[in-house]
Amino acid sequence: MLQGHLDILLIAIVTAVACALPGVFLVLRRMTLMSDAISHAILPGIVVAFFLTESLSSPLLILAAAGTGVLTVLFVELLQRTKLVKEDAAIGLTFPALFSIGVILISRFAGNVHLDMDAVLLGELAYAPLNRLKIFGSDLGPVSLYVMGTIFVLNLVFILLFYKELKLVTFDASLAAALGFVPTVIHYGLMTLVSVTTVGAFDAVGSILVVALIAGPPATAYLMTDRLSRMLIFSAIIGSVNAVTGYWVAFLFDVSIAGSIATMTLIIFVLIFFVVPNRGLIAIARRHARQKWEFAQTMLVIHLLNHEGLPEAETESAIADLHEHLSWDPGFTTQVVKYALNNRCVSREETQLILTEQGRTIAQQALVE
Amino acid sequence: MENLSILTHLDYTLMIVAIGAALLGAVSGALGSYAVLRRQSLLGDAISHAALPGIAIAFLLTGSKTPLILVLGAAIAGWLGTLLILSIVRLTRIKYDSALGIVLSTFFGFGLVLHTLIQRTGNANQAGLDTFLFGQAATMLARDVLTIGILGGIALTVMLVFWKELKLLVFDEGFAASIGFPIRTLDILLTSLLVVAIVLGLQAVGAVLMSAMLVAPAVAARQWTDRLRLMVFLAACFGALAGVSGTIISSTASRIPTGPTIVLCATVVVGLSIAFAPNRGLVWDRIRQQRNRRNLKMETSRY
Amino acid sequence: MQGAEQKAIQVTDLTVAYQDKPVLWDIDLDVPPGVLLSIVGPNGAGKTTLIKAILGLVRPAAGNVLIYDKPYEAQRGIVGYVPQRGSVDWDFPTNVLDVVMMGRYGALGWIRRPRKKERELAMQALEKVGMEAYTTRQISQLSGGQQQRVFLARALVQDATVYLMDEPFQGVDATTERAIVTLLQELRADGKTVVVVHHDLQTVTDYFDWVMLLNIRRIASGPVDEIFTSDNLRETYGGRVAFMK
Repeated sequence: MLQGHLDILLIAIVTAVACALPGVFLVLRRMTLMSDAISHAILPGIVVAFFLTESLSSPLLILAAAGTGVLTVLFVELLQRTKLVKEDAAIGLTFPALFSIGVILISRFAGNVHLDMDAVLLGELAYAPLNRLKIFGSDLGPVSLYVMGTIFVLNLVFILLFYKELKLVTFDASLAAALGFVPTVIHYGLMTLVSVTTVGAFDAVGSILVVALIAGPPATAYLMTDRLSRMLIFSAIIGSVNAVTGYWVAFLFDVSIAGSIATMTLIIFVLIFFVVPNRGLIAIARRHARQKWEFAQTMLVIHLLNHEGLPEAETESAIADLHEHLSWDPGFTTQVVKYALNNRCVSREETQLILTEQGRTIAQQALVE
Repeated sequence: MENLSILTHLDYTLMIVAIGAALLGAVSGALGSYAVLRRQSLLGDAISHAALPGIAIAFLLTGSKTPLILVLGAAIAGWLGTLLILSIVRLTRIKYDSALGIVLSTFFGFGLVLHTLIQRTGNANQAGLDTFLFGQAATMLARDVLTIGILGGIALTVMLVFWKELKLLVFDEGFAASIGFPIRTLDILLTSLLVVAIVLGLQAVGAVLMSAMLVAPAVAARQWTDRLRLMVFLAACFGALAGVSGTIISSTASRIPTGPTIVLCATVVVGLSIAFAPNRGLVWDRIRQQRNRRNLKMETSRY
Repeated sequence: MQGAEQKAIQVTDLTVAYQDKPVLWDIDLDVPPGVLLSIVGPNGAGKTTLIKAILGLVRPAAGNVLIYDKPYEAQRGIVGYVPQRGSVDWDFPTNVLDVVMMGRYGALGWIRRPRKKERELAMQALEKVGMEAYTTRQISQLSGGQQQRVFLARALVQDATVYLMDEPFQGVDATTERAIVTLLQELRADGKTVVVVHHDLQTVTDYFDWVMLLNIRRIASGPVDEIFTSDNLRETYGGRVAFMK
């Protein structure tokens, strides 16, 4: 029993990390939806290969499906190149059509094959460890762990080998082309990897939730860091955390494991979205509150500086009229004036507000920036 | 005599399904035109997947399987998903495509979790989920068709009433705002119409293929005309055509699911339009190029 | 105010910030009626933002805008707007006449459709910009200059008193540029006020009678011959400007 848990957990983690790594480049290159398209469009490839091999984890099946995935990318790009269809529409046309062909094939020949639509769309992690790799009668562990492990190593090696090229193609495709790194080759290399990864992950989580594994961790990591290398590492970590917590919740409530991992992906994404230092919503709100007075004070001193020594200065810097000029709420204006007085940016001379040296420096600095 | 009555009964069922599919195709085709023009073709995909937890929660709360309640749940969840996508894009540096992918897959995952919960209580069976994923056009009843007709009719009427405003919103948002139209409100209106089309379409083709029903008729229609009016009209016609022909084809043989067949019919219409539509079509383009080349040759040979 | 003459546009102490980044600092600008004013400044100076703030499309952090002494909401009917050409998708399925008629949508209000009168107004505007032969042309089949003329015609049918134009000379051919200048000068002759975001320093003195130099704050504004000096330009462009009189 414990072994079963461990197997499932291991498969979940390896799958999550294997998906998160290429996902980083998809998210950065704004191609996330291509993975959605691929994961659906490979269905006919899988079905045909399944007819031939009668196994869901044979290498031939993975190759056939990966081939279909790359064809999908190619087809979307061809459609776009006619200039008659925009990219989003091209994706929205291609994958449902291919997916439909797959569904029709399955239901036409459903009697002959043990290929369940639910398995394809939803996957079922709980069953993944049942299919064991046995050599000479000794049990070496679940097959899918080996399949996903291989795909993970493949992704890792590709990214390590072509790190520089991937980085360049992601951030500046035209420079990459000028420097002689054919962007198309890198592009299709990446797309092949995504296809292979998607097929591998199919078994475990199905074609819809693959997108959560591919896009979720990288997008979460993107909220946390600017550096590509860190984003890759963070994505891998977040992917594992999603998998572990997701599995734990699924076990606790006895619900779908894949669905639970996807749910945790969303929860952790939203959590990071709120709490991450500097960029999170909370940090932004606090900075706003802090800067509100500072910013208002700067507006005030700039206003005074702009009208200093001019004929209209008398009305422009009259404390009683300030709110009218700046279109501020009178109460707010009083508070800003008090704040600026406290900071010695302005001083009061009868009804007038006069800039101090410090206030002048602040205004001038703000204008130069 | 008995045989005959079975036959007419079958025809009646088929006719109901065909009418329902035609109505759905027309509604999603017309409203999908706006999604395609706004480059939000895949928003429909996200909304349709995001609807699952809404359906599950509606069922958990009310314990009822009344279509109207489930549709309402689906619509609310679809709406929330859209809102989350827009907030992510506005508040972070994550781009539209990633935000859409995350919402689509994780909402769906959450729906799946809820679904397994419902299953455990023994209230529902697997069929509910399959219906959501692939639709069940073939089992549509006259009552369902009536619901589709009324709700779809309302959506299309609203679209026609605010025709001028919606056109301006899609073409030039800044200008629309400058002459005083509340673009936020119009945006919400247009998205709501899209949500209506989607939750209705879920019944026929299911979540996975819904995006094709929005995108394919609109893309096909765009090739034939340069006027919005005609594009929306043609998209509705193409959608209806795909609905009817898909229904009929799938009824001719056993074990051909209706939803995917409808989608393939719509795809064929797109293929034909891209190839043969006058002016924009690929064949037309090729002929024009050849004619130009010939003219050029004739002109150069004259000197 | 001190009984000064009426202003077509009056911007007072306007500050606009996107998130925490200020794009305009305490801008003052008075535009008297009947002038042809160009807003000039380097990239990122906030020229487009100023136009949008005047149109109420962005919310200011401080200050306000008056059009003939009233806020914009009350004066929509007398303001015409030409957005940047690149701000819309020209592959949208519509034709020239239809785009121009959109200029009447504000006057039509909700739900009412354009009719014969709107069509006639649109035709007149198209004649003024020399595009009457293109009424049924799909807009993607127009050249950049022609697209710009269509946008101008749309603003003309708004029949406004104050016009705000965002880079109407962007990417247009020489003929169109001359035609647009003539048109702008006709508008001024009719007593309209025209504000134009402009890029080409060489032509400012030829085309416009007023100028505003802007770089996040207002450097100077007023009649071209007073304001358009090398000192002011150096201050606007930070010494990076090659052109000097």
